[in-house]
Amino acid sequence: MENISLLSNFEMLCIIVNYGIGSKVLKYAKEEGILGGTIILGKGTHKRPLLEFLELTETRKELVLMIAPRKIINPALDALYEKLKLAKPHHGIAFVIPVTQFLGAGKYEYEAKNEIGGHNMTEYKAIFTIVDKGSGEKVVDAATMAGAKGATIINARGSGIHETSKLFAMEIEPEKEIVLILAQKEIVKPIITSICEELDIDQPGNGIIFVQEVHQTYGIR
Amino acid sequence: MNILAEKFRDNIIAVVPITLIVIILNFTLVPLSTPFLIRFIIGSVFVIIGLSLFLVGVDLGITPLGSHTGSTLTKTNKLVIVLVAGLILGFFISIAEPGLLVFSNQVDFVTQGDISSVSILISVSIGLAIMIGLGFIRIIYNLPLYRILLVLYLIIFVLAFFTSPEFLAISFDASGATTGVLAVPFLLALSIGITKMKKDSKSSEKDSFGLVSIASTGAIIALMILGFFNRNLNFAAHIPENITESTEIIKPFTSIVTSVFNESFMSLLPLIIILFILQTVSFKLTKRAFIRILKGFIYALLGLFIFLVGVNAGFMEVGSKIGYTLALLDHKVYILLIAFLLGLFTIAAEPAVSVLTYQIEDITSGYVKKKAVLIPLSIGVGFAIMLSILKILVPSLQLWHLLLPGYIISLALMFMVPKLFVGIAFDAGGVATGPMTATFILAFTTGAANATPSANVLLDGFGMIALVALAPIITLQLLGFVFKIRSRKGGI
Repeated sequence: MENISLLSNFEMLCIIVNYGIGSKVLKYAKEEGILGGTIILGKGTHKRPLLEFLELTETRKELVLMIAPRKIINPALDALYEKLKLAKPHHGIAFVIPVTQFLGAGKYEYEAKNEIGGHNMTEYKAIFTIVDKGSGEKVVDAATMAGAKGATIINARGSGIHETSKLFAMEIEPEKEIVLILAQKEIVKPIITSICEELDIDQPGNGIIFVQEVHQTYGIR
Repeated sequence: MNILAEKFRDNIIAVVPITLIVIILNFTLVPLSTPFLIRFIIGSVFVIIGLSLFLVGVDLGITPLGSHTGSTLTKTNKLVIVLVAGLILGFFISIAEPGLLVFSNQVDFVTQGDISSVSILISVSIGLAIMIGLGFIRIIYNLPLYRILLVLYLIIFVLAFFTSPEFLAISFDASGATTGVLAVPFLLALSIGITKMKKDSKSSEKDSFGLVSIASTGAIIALMILGFFNRNLNFAAHIPENITESTEIIKPFTSIVTSVFNESFMSLLPLIIILFILQTVSFKLTKRAFIRILKGFIYALLGLFIFLVGVNAGFMEVGSKIGYTLALLDHKVYILLIAFLLGLFTIAAEPAVSVLTYQIEDITSGYVKKKAVLIPLSIGVGFAIMLSILKILVPSLQLWHLLLPGYIISLALMFMVPKLFVGIAFDAGGVATGPMTATFILAFTTGAANATPSANVLLDGFGMIALVALAPIITLQLLGFVFKIRSRKGGI
């Protein structure tokens, strides 16, 4: 475990594509060595006066989230950029966000030794927990016990290394829930410990947790 | 790509196969006259355009309205309000359903006035209203769908013993007639609006489906009770054949414009009234959101109108002609095979099917994809149409010989498959019997029955819809079974 964390930093790759492409993105990403990913349904708009009058601006989008070491992310992103033709307009967008702490994926566990930045940071971090559908509430309960003040549950689907079955040549991606918790730096650790104990995140296949730096927060007291 | 373009693409994929089958048949087994064929192709284009506009309208107008209504009702936190609203909504949606009106006139005619069309209209609407009220209670109190369906179908089984075979077919068809093209999307959105308030995400998901299926049983039970009090019915032996072999191309389209427009507007009217009442009473939507829903209604009205004109003027005669010609052939294999193919491919062009698959994708965040639902649904309907033709060809095969084992299998499967799929499957039964089945496929089976001397044109026509409503319940539950096995985590 230590080896991996020394060799590389973890990053989160986000790709937003039209509805129906998400599963394909995940499939390509797995071919490039990324172990799993989560897909969220969203709605996107683009600005055109006529379409706006006709109320036709909204389209369904899929947001694909994948976490992997940087040395895997970079080549994978290049490959995806080619395969998804992201250079062309309306084919989607991709971006990468750093991750400060990542656990639960069995194979690798990681915590950033030196936090980047230092100044300009708020007192808060964002804890993301991805679990099977129905377990989101347990995560919220566990986090609340450890001092979290609130949580947001996002419906999603996704698959990791344990979920790779097919149906009519379609990948089956089981339903997930993403729990987003914003918490003060000091209580991030207890919250994670509480969630880990409650849901056995250390055991493979039970979910993942990752933490990201938050630069600014509003509306939290 | 905007949503309209997206829908166009989907619907072209959905409608082209059925058009190709007819064109291939034209050059092989069933030569059609040129005006027929041209009308059919124009009809297909109308269906594609109409369907696309209609589905955009559902997305923009009908789904948000249903979902807002559901949430608003739940937020009142008063059982009485929810219940009364369910009764009122159910009654008016059902009584305005054009499919039900056509159906009750048919029954009136068939029973030679013993059962008047008004009594059917009222009793079915009451049945539906009660069941929608019950459906609301079920969602709010977390009552498991499978238990409710089990009880309701047991009641239907018991009632079936006291129902004559002719009336049995009519009763089961009533369920298909009430769950019409606008009622289904509205009911689906309504239950989603209620369930999304729930904290428990698992139960919220599986409770999102099932309201349509509970509503359909209301229609069946209402008609069976009506039949119970009106025994010793006389049944007319023939329906008047009004298939005129028109050689004109444009006139069949223009001649039905007014009646179809009225029909489309009538079915949308209760939803418009609901929107205006709730907007003043409790929605308080922003002006923009309100106008958006209104624009959605315009899309839906226009789309439904174009769709129905295309289907009625372009598809019906062709369906009847194909059925008639194929049934006269010596080799019955042809008609059975074509019946299967027609069922397989028309279902994709059924408007409510697209709405259901879209909702399923939305609720499950894409876990259960459109294709995964559409394939078993199509296969199921294909078999249903094939069985209805078999029933026409083999006079000793009765409707209940197929319905009874079918429903026993459906009910037994409920205990084995994930509960989400129970709701989806039973809802799909109501969804599959839309305007496409009620015109094109119905014309096909009646055409076949007309060419078969031993068949009773009327009753065989009625039973088909019952079978189409049954088949997806079985196939989609089987899909759920496969999903259950396939979703297990490996390698732990």
